Amino acid sequence: MGLEDGGSAAGAGEGGGGEGERFRVLVVDDSPVDRKIVERLLLRSGNLFEVIAVDGGKKAIEVLGLNYADCSVDLILTDYCMPEMNGYELLKAVKEHKLRKSIPVVLMSSENNPQRMTRCQAMGAEDFILKPLKAVDVQQLRHYTRPAAAAAVAMEAESAAKADGKRKLPPMKVVGENKGSERQPRPRLARVAVS
Amino acid sequence: MECSPLYRQAANMKKSLLDQGYLDEQFHQLEELQDDLSPNFVEEVVTLFFRDSARLIAGIDQALEKTPRDFQRLDGFIHQLKGSSSSIGAAKVKNECSAFQDHCNQGSTEGCLRSFKRVKREHAALRQKLENYLQVLRQVSPSPMKAAVRPK
Repeated sequence: MGLEDGGSAAGAGEGGGGEGERFRVLVVDDSPVDRKIVERLLLRSGNLFEVIAVDGGKKAIEVLGLNYADCSVDLILTDYCMPEMNGYELLKAVKEHKLRKSIPVVLMSSENNPQRMTRCQAMGAEDFILKPLKAVDVQQLRHYTRPAAAAAVAMEAESAAKADGKRKLPPMKVVGENKGSERQPRPRLARVAVS
Repeated sequence: MECSPLYRQAANMKKSLLDQGYLDEQFHQLEELQDDLSPNFVEEVVTLFFRDSARLIAGIDQALEKTPRDFQRLDGFIHQLKGSSSSIGAAKVKNECSAFQDHCNQGSTEGCLRSFKRVKREHAALRQKLENYLQVLRQVSPSPMKAAVRPK
């Protein structure tokens, strides 16, 4: 993956473990310190995650644009406060995009701002985590991830359906997906004040 | 190794940093992330912090010299500095950043200038103390940073 000028990819060989499925997380944060720490947290989480780290929303959009054909991003973990394109704007761009909107987005912020959290939740964010992140926060992320393989199947099916002239949405098997009334309570609901 | 004078010295230095409020629990979190696969993680993060924070402090210095003051720009810089300070457990620097932010929000140039002096002072003090601490750790063992990790 050709990420340069503010991007990096890591994950292979870290943390031991077997050959279980690994989730690819796109970490978006303009702080190099926070990127490094979050990346380490993710890589230390029992070989669950691969990490792509970029330094801003625009770079994240580039990554998503280049790689969506492979459906290679299972989760976007983005800081809220970033220059040029903040986390909310990135969230909006993802959720309003026909092909990318199924990618779960989790926001991070150092500020406990209920209005901000509500706005993000309304736009479809999976969660809103207060910084600095802890290991327990990262462990919870697996509940939001979407296996790349399942997404690829969904995309292929959608493309095929369009070609047929029939619009069908195939069932998507998603690890940790919460369906309708069976929706599991989010681990961080208590932090999201819905006014 | 754990009984060596250097190890004890490092442990005492870290305890002192915590007791005096220069560092908080978040620093322990960094140490927990260090292992054989990333044996210098703490030093790498600390180095990265001081490199990035120097850039931010220079940005604030420049912004404070301009008139009229762009408090939004100042707030942007200090927000970043506060965030990364918090991430490494630099408690005093973080607290001074909060005070600076309050003055920014009030549009107080005088307040910003005063509190920024304190930010720089705490930043410089922490830099010196962490450099000393890391220097001792490097001497402790071939993989000196392993000594920084608390026994589980």
